[in-house]
Order: sequence, then structure tokens, then C-alpha cells
Amino acid sequence: MSFGGVRAVNGATLDVEVGSVTSVIGPNGAGKTTLFNLISGATKPDSGTILFEGLEIHNLLPHKIADRGIIRTFQGAKVIKRLSVLDNLMLGGQDNPGDSLVNFLNPKARKAYEVQCRERAMELLKQIGIERFADEYAGILSGGQRKLLDLARALMANPTLLLLDEPFAGVNPTLVEKLLEVLHALRSKHNLTFLLIEHDLETVMNISDRVIVMAEGRVIADGKPNSIYENQAVIDAYLGTRKASK
Amino acid sequence: MAEFVQLLFNGLVEGSIFGIAALGISLVYSVLKLVNFAAGDFLTLGAFTTFFFATNSHLPFIVAVLLSMLLGVAISLILEFIIWRKLRKTGAGMLALFLVATGVAFVLRQSIALIFGSNSRKFDIDQIKTFEFLGAQIAQAQLAVLCCASVAITVIALFIKKSTIGKNMRAYSDNPSLASVSGINVDRVIIATWTISGAFGALAGIFQGTVQGQFTNGMGLDLLLSILAAVVLGTIGDAYGALIGGFVLGIVMELSTWDALLGGIPSTYKPVVAFAVLVIVLLFKPEGIFGVRVRKI
Amino acid sequence: MTALMQPGFWVFILTMSGIYGIFSLGLQIQYGVGGILNFGHVGMMALSSYTMAILIISHGINFWIAAAAGVAVAALGGAFLGLTTLRLRGDYFAIVSIAFSEIVRYVIYNSDGLTGGVQGSLAIPVIGENYPSYTDTWDSIMNRARDILTPIFGEIADREFVMAIVVWITLGILLLIVSRIERTSWARVLRATREDDEVPAALGKNVFRFRLQAVIIGSVIGGIAGIYWGLESSLLSPDDFLTLVTFYGWMILILGGATKVKGLPIAAIFFGFLYGGSRFFTFWPFSHLDASQRAYVRIMIIGIVLIILMMRRPQGIFGKRQEMVLE
Repeated sequence: MSFGGVRAVNGATLDVEVGSVTSVIGPNGAGKTTLFNLISGATKPDSGTILFEGLEIHNLLPHKIADRGIIRTFQGAKVIKRLSVLDNLMLGGQDNPGDSLVNFLNPKARKAYEVQCRERAMELLKQIGIERFADEYAGILSGGQRKLLDLARALMANPTLLLLDEPFAGVNPTLVEKLLEVLHALRSKHNLTFLLIEHDLETVMNISDRVIVMAEGRVIADGKPNSIYENQAVIDAYLGTRKASK
Repeated sequence: MAEFVQLLFNGLVEGSIFGIAALGISLVYSVLKLVNFAAGDFLTLGAFTTFFFATNSHLPFIVAVLLSMLLGVAISLILEFIIWRKLRKTGAGMLALFLVATGVAFVLRQSIALIFGSNSRKFDIDQIKTFEFLGAQIAQAQLAVLCCASVAITVIALFIKKSTIGKNMRAYSDNPSLASVSGINVDRVIIATWTISGAFGALAGIFQGTVQGQFTNGMGLDLLLSILAAVVLGTIGDAYGALIGGFVLGIVMELSTWDALLGGIPSTYKPVVAFAVLVIVLLFKPEGIFGVRVRKI
Repeated sequence: MTALMQPGFWVFILTMSGIYGIFSLGLQIQYGVGGILNFGHVGMMALSSYTMAILIISHGINFWIAAAAGVAVAALGGAFLGLTTLRLRGDYFAIVSIAFSEIVRYVIYNSDGLTGGVQGSLAIPVIGENYPSYTDTWDSIMNRARDILTPIFGEIADREFVMAIVVWITLGILLLIVSRIERTSWARVLRATREDDEVPAALGKNVFRFRLQAVIIGSVIGGIAGIYWGLESSLLSPDDFLTLVTFYGWMILILGGATKVKGLPIAAIFFGFLYGGSRFFTFWPFSHLDASQRAYVRIMIIGIVLIILMMRRPQGIFGKRQEMVLE
């Protein structure tokens, strides 16, 4: 697909296995975030198809794609600053009867859902260690804390596939540990599939089942973490010795 | 055929007026991110002060025009220093800008009414002399406006494209923080923006008064919607787009009254046509003719 | 100054405050919750009041049905506005919404055969020989109520008094309902969309649908304000529905603190005094002006208040500064 004359993602073909942790790496401008935008529906592809659980999703609106279980986080961790931390999490609740105005007349159903949603949310907050901020405006959280919130919120949404956009960038190592713990726990419990964009190569190699390398909008390597280290194309892309193709 | 030429010509003239006013609004938006709802009243002010200087004080018309433009610039700059500057400092959001612009519009409009009264005015110029061209009646006044407007448009287009300040304006509107860090004199850019907007607003009002004949203090407001439509049509913030939007709307609005088009729309509904066109275009190009499509919800 | 001493005047102010309060509430749910900049709100008032008047005068429809139909048409107006333009970016929507209400006013102004055009509701084509009035049923109810209340309240209980009570009871009920709505998760989603469209969408929320619903609910409330306005005024004219009126609503909204409803009633009363009371600025320096000039000054004052309010205290009387800062 093209942005004002630049082909951001050009002929990227890849698949992601259920239950795996797949990382997408590559130099800046390789098209990684664009790839996420295409999968999550934020951008529409000029050509090509995207299949999820057998269904074509590339023409769907973002909220429909999220409905199907693909939940993403955002680079820089977008939190809703003027909602409380707890409200941010509860936003992730799916099939909330209170979202439908018809249920305005059914306070019982709304309350029942809110109570159990709140419990789940507080549980998650405890797991990531920021439950003391539950009723504070999310705007006061630090960058690292926002990342945690972004992740927790994604988890609230019953994801099948989690798209994590640089979840560890700018997070201090202790928190990274914590994040990884939570992710591992959830992965086994819910059979989640992860697709991550990440720059920290060490983390990527440690946690990924598979690594996809992108450069200049193409997939240039795809395989087990070890194989990537030795891949000449990958080395070239990172070192920039490869000439730009026209 | 004659009617078509007539309407086309009228549309061109009206379009040039829209274009000039729309340009000012678009420039202010691109540099200051402000939709200047008070712009319509600058048109009215320009027309009324020209009337006052030319007819009451008996100054030569061209002097009156220049004085009015100067006044428009002066008031724009005063507003910048006592209001807009302060508002930007407090980090005002979209709503604050809209409401303050509306407040300014109210104050301006009522001031004009208080000072000049509510009677309709008319410039002391020959409205009657016409030429014939392909069966259409071309008023001398219209021709004069079209020529002057074209000159003004050409001058400003060149200015924005070639002059240093013009380039700085474009750089600042693209990326304000980068521009100020790279040494561009932001103050000068802002002052230049308001100067152009104030001068062109007055000019558009004077042109409209010339073409329209009688005008009242509702004149600017009557036009404001069509002008805003031109701004949005050409993509807000795009100066050239504003000019094109102005011409397109002017011509479409006039032609919509053509008999041959299923009897034509009654001319009182022209602004409705402007908005119908705008909404239809926005349905396909939500950012305006020149905008980049951003898929959101 | 004697006019100021008349209780009837204050009752009138109270009624108008209540009507503008309802009007402003319609804006509150759109902006305070949804961050939607609807500057065409007065169009809903125009739609509801004119629909009611036309149905009663030209078609002899029962008052209650006509009033309900008026509100329904306002809702449809909101739906139309939303469906065609809510996907646009915020400032485009703001501009186009003004156009919407101006076009409504325009059509009213130019459709003499339907709406009476510039002459107003007095010129609406009547069935039969009767004087074109749409308030007959309402007036008789008001009179009956007045007869009940006079023994209790004494001289002050005239038609105006009853009207004020009815309007404020309605406002009270609507405030209760809206504040309940604002505690649901529906409102939570809308509040999220104020800041960001992508996050709620990424969590499965259909942002467009939520916004459209907010606009429609707001338009219904605006429509109710329109009905009361028409009944209070007994006479409609396209000049009663200028964009200026929308900004009265906005001023009340900002004064009361846009994000919560609790400040709204007081802000409405404050506005009522400002607007109605300024009629009586007969002291110096206003004594030099004639009536029409004082009208200009009144609007100028509103413009100045708007400017100062947004520059000095954009959170209004009751809003939280912190929320503004986080914006």
C-alpha cells in the first residue's frame, strides 16, 4: 500500500501460527507499523488479502476486526488521559450491555456486567502492579506505566491475536520482566497468539518462536530466531549496505 | 446560450470574490489552526468603511479602498495581540478557538451596526454600464472586480510561492515546532498571515459591495457560509485549494439557476446549492478536494 | 427601574432560562460526553417548533401528537446531520453543522406556502377560517393549571408562572435522565472517543454509531426545547432561530462546566438574567442608545462574555481545571 507516493508495504506475504509468539523486526521505515495498521484495519490495503481464522478481514472496519479477536496496542501507548485508569481498562470489556442504549432501561443487567468487569480489571491492575492508580486520571501515569495499561486493556478485550506495537520500548527492565511474566501466564492460559513489533533484539530472540524481518516494505527473512542471525539479507538491511531497489 | 455565458461570467466574478475571502481564512487556518468565524464581518467592515471614506468623506475611491484594507489589517493585528496570542499561550483547544472567534464575530458585527447603522449602503460607482459579449450582459463593475481580483490572486499566489515569508509560512504550517527550531521568525509569519487575511477580507467585501450594489451589515455573514464551503471544499489550510474551491462554488452556484437544468434552482437557494456540493464532495473526499484520505471510523 | 421590580418579569426570565437550559442540555450530551462540536443545534429547535405549528394550523392535528411529531422531526434532523457528516473531522463537522441549521432556517424563510416565510407562523396557511394559532390546547391547560394554583400562590400564579413550573419540571426530569445516561458504559465509550478514535475502535467499539446516537439524543432534547419555545412565544419566525441562539446554548454549557450536568441549571439562570436583564440597561451609558442599538449592545456583551469565558475560565463555574489541563 502507498502513502503519498511511497510504497510502505510492498508485497509482504507472511502467516502467523496460532498460539505462537511471532516478532516483526526491521530497520526504521521498514513498514512494520503499516503492517499492523493493515491487519487491524486502520489502513486499507491497495491490493492483496488478509485472512484471519479463514475469514477475509482486509475490508472490514477496525472495530469489526477487533470484534473478531484481533486486539492491538499502539506505539507510545495511547491511554485515554481524561478517563481513570480503571475506566480505561473497563473500556476493553466486550459485549457490555451498557454500551447499548436499549439497556438504559435495564439497570440490573448493566450493573451485573460492570461488577464482574470491574473485578477483572482490578485483577489485571494488581497483576501489573498499578492498582493504586485505579481511580486516578490515566494522564498522570508515566510512559512505562502507560505501556502496562495499554497491554492490560488489550487483554481485557478477550483477544485471540494480540498485536503489540513496541511493547517494551522505553520500559525499565524490571517492568519488562513483569510484562513477560504476565504475557507467558496468559499465553498458556488462553492460548493467545502474539505478533509483536520490537526493536530490542535480545528480548526478541528470547521470547519469539519465529521472527519475521522486514525492510523497505518487504519481508526479507522469516524463520526461527537463530536462523535470522546468520541471514545475510538481514545483516545487510540493518547495516544498510544493501542498495535501495527501485 | 446567452444565459449560460451570463451565468458563467457571474459565477467567475462571484467565485473570484469567494476565492479571495477563502484564501484569507485558509491561510489563517494553516498557520494558526483557527477557523476565523469573524472573517465574514471583515468583509462587511471593508465595504462599510470604503463607503464611509469614499462617499461620506469624498476621498477618491481607490484611496478609500486602500484605507479600508489598512483598517482591516490593523484590526486583525490588534485582535492577534490582545486575544489570539494569549489564547495560544493557554493552549486553547478547538472549542475555545471556535467560541472566541464567534465572540469576536459578534462584537465586530454589532460594532459595525452601532457605528454605521442598519441602513443599506451603495457605492458611488457606475453600476449600470454594461458590455455585450456572446449575448450576455457584462457589467463594467463586474469586469473591474474580476480584473482586480485576478491581479490580487496572482500577486498573492506568487508571494506565497516565491517570497521568503511565503516559504516560511508554508514551512511553519507543515511543522510548527520544526520551523521555529530551524530559525524561522514565527512572529513575522503570524503577522504576515493576519495582514494578508485582513487585507483580503476587506478587499473581498469591497468587491462584493461593488458587484452587489446595495449592501447591508448582514452582507459578510450572508456570504460567510459559502466562503467557508469553499475553504472546506478546497481542503482547509490549502491556500490554492481555497482559490479553486471559491471559483468552483461560484460557478456551480450560478449555473445551478440555469433554466436549461430542469428549470433551474431559484436563486435564493444558491447557498443551499453550495452546501449540497460540499457535502457530496466530502462524502467521497472527506478531507476536501486536495486532502489525503485518512480512513478513521 | 420599575419594570425590574415586577415579579412577572422574573418569572419570564425563569421560563426562558429553563428553555435555554433544556436546549443547552442537548448540547451537553453531544459535547460534554462525546466531544462533538455541533454548532447547528438551533436547527433542531426550528424543526420541532415549526413542525408542531404547521401540523396544528394547516392540518388540524391534535396538539399532543403534533408536539411529539415535532420532537420526532428534530430527531430525524439530527440523524440526517449525523449520517451525512459525522465521519468528517471535528472542525469540518462544526462548520457543516452551522450550514445545516442555516439551511433549515433558509428553507423556512423561503417556503411561504408552508411556513409563512418571513412573516412567521402568523402566515402559515390555515385550514378553515380560524386565526393561525397553535397554542390553543396548551393555553387552556395552562389556564386550568393557573386556576388550581392561584388559591395557593396568590396573585403571582398567572399563565407565565405555570409555564415556568412546567419547563423547570421538564428540565429537572431531563437532567435526571441524562445524568443517569452519563453513568453508563455507553457514556464511557463516548468520553474515550473525545480524545482518540483509534483506541475505542481497536477495542471493538463502533465509534460512528456511538456519536450518531449522541447527536440524535441531543437533537431530541433540543427539539423539546423548541416545543416549549414555540409555546412560550406563541409565534414563530425564522429570525428566532439564528445561529446566535446555538451559541447562547454553548455559553450556558461552558459556564456550567461542560463535562457535568450539575452546573447547568445555575448557568442557565445566569444566562437568563444576562440576556433578559440587559433589556433594562437604561442607565448611562446605555441611555444614549435607542432600543435597536441596545439590542446590538446586548449581543456584543454576549460576544465579550464568550471571549472572556474561554480565555479566563474555560472550565466554567463548576468544571475541573485538571481535566482541561490534560486536554
